Amino acid sequence: MGYQVAGQSHTGAVRKSNQDVVEWQLSEAADRALLVVADGMGGHQGGEVASRLAVDAVLDAAGEALTCMPPDAPDHEIRKILDRGFALANDRIKARRAEEPGLEKMGTTLVLAWVSGSRAHIAHIGDSRCYRLRKQQAVCLTRDDTVVQNMLEDGSITLADVPHVPFRNVLTRAVGSVEEAAPSHRTEILEPGDALLLCSDGLTDSVPEDRWPGIVHGHDGPASAVQALIEAGLANGAGDNVSVVLLTLE
Amino acid sequence: MASFSQLVDNVVVNTFELSQPETRIGRRPDNDIQIDEISVSGQHALIEAIPNAYLDGTVDYYITDSNSTNGTFVNELRISGRQRLNSNDVVRIGWNEFRFIDEEEQALEKTAYILD
Repeated sequence: MGYQVAGQSHTGAVRKSNQDVVEWQLSEAADRALLVVADGMGGHQGGEVASRLAVDAVLDAAGEALTCMPPDAPDHEIRKILDRGFALANDRIKARRAEEPGLEKMGTTLVLAWVSGSRAHIAHIGDSRCYRLRKQQAVCLTRDDTVVQNMLEDGSITLADVPHVPFRNVLTRAVGSVEEAAPSHRTEILEPGDALLLCSDGLTDSVPEDRWPGIVHGHDGPASAVQALIEAGLANGAGDNVSVVLLTLE
Repeated sequence: MASFSQLVDNVVVNTFELSQPETRIGRRPDNDIQIDEISVSGQHALIEAIPNAYLDGTVDYYITDSNSTNGTFVNELRISGRQRLNSNDVVRIGWNEFRFIDEEEQALEKTAYILD
């Protein structure tokens, strides 16, 4: 299976700085890929520092190790490597928080996907998400670590309430602000024609999910699809940074 | 602290503090907020103040219709189950209009942060 990958991060229509970071690595044979999105927070500078530290840590701890794994490596071996990426990201952010005044509240969301063959291994902390686009459907594969998600699940509120809840942006956990950063894991089997999309909440808040498959399938290649998704967000006045990494399977 | 203000032609005529865990609204005199008006049922609606289980120091307010005849509406939509109230929601009890105000909520920072 051959992949194509593209990604982009945009400051958005309102914010002055971009605290999101996107990164990806694609093997030469285009049959393995690592996708990463981080959305930093915690003050003026902190957010930018935290998301950058997290993405670099993932590449340092997991980038090469994943590439060295045999294609038939069991899921738990892959997860162990992904866990190492999260642990290193958490440690590095915590260390910086402790030593630099002004950064003591920083943290970041982190979602990553390792795709090898038809298997996608997804790990995340926070509210940056991973979706599988199949035909006209966008299915969210991650569960937000947010107060709002907990309230939706216990029935306190409905989806219609979410845009009005004042604490809708409050995360229950983030990389750099927890004792141990154990991510939530998921493995997904992809089919030819599928796309895997990682994004920050800037996209989910500005472009309805049901429009994504149309936008992605309506463009030739992931680079122009990513560009179109971000433009759609900006056209809707994206109040936050908008970031997308998109992998398509031929 | 949250409050519930009765409006007549968009002018506040009466304000009730929602200081109890439960505030009963209806036509009968044993209600916490009594509205002696024909469109209001004896026991019409209930507002509950419930500490948020996931966010320390935050109280959520929920309104439930108590099987009233003429219904309870939030922003002109008739409610069926229990519904969370947001600051500035307009609640209609029969033909009587109220505005729900939660000052704590208005003070809550709207930008992202993390629970430590």
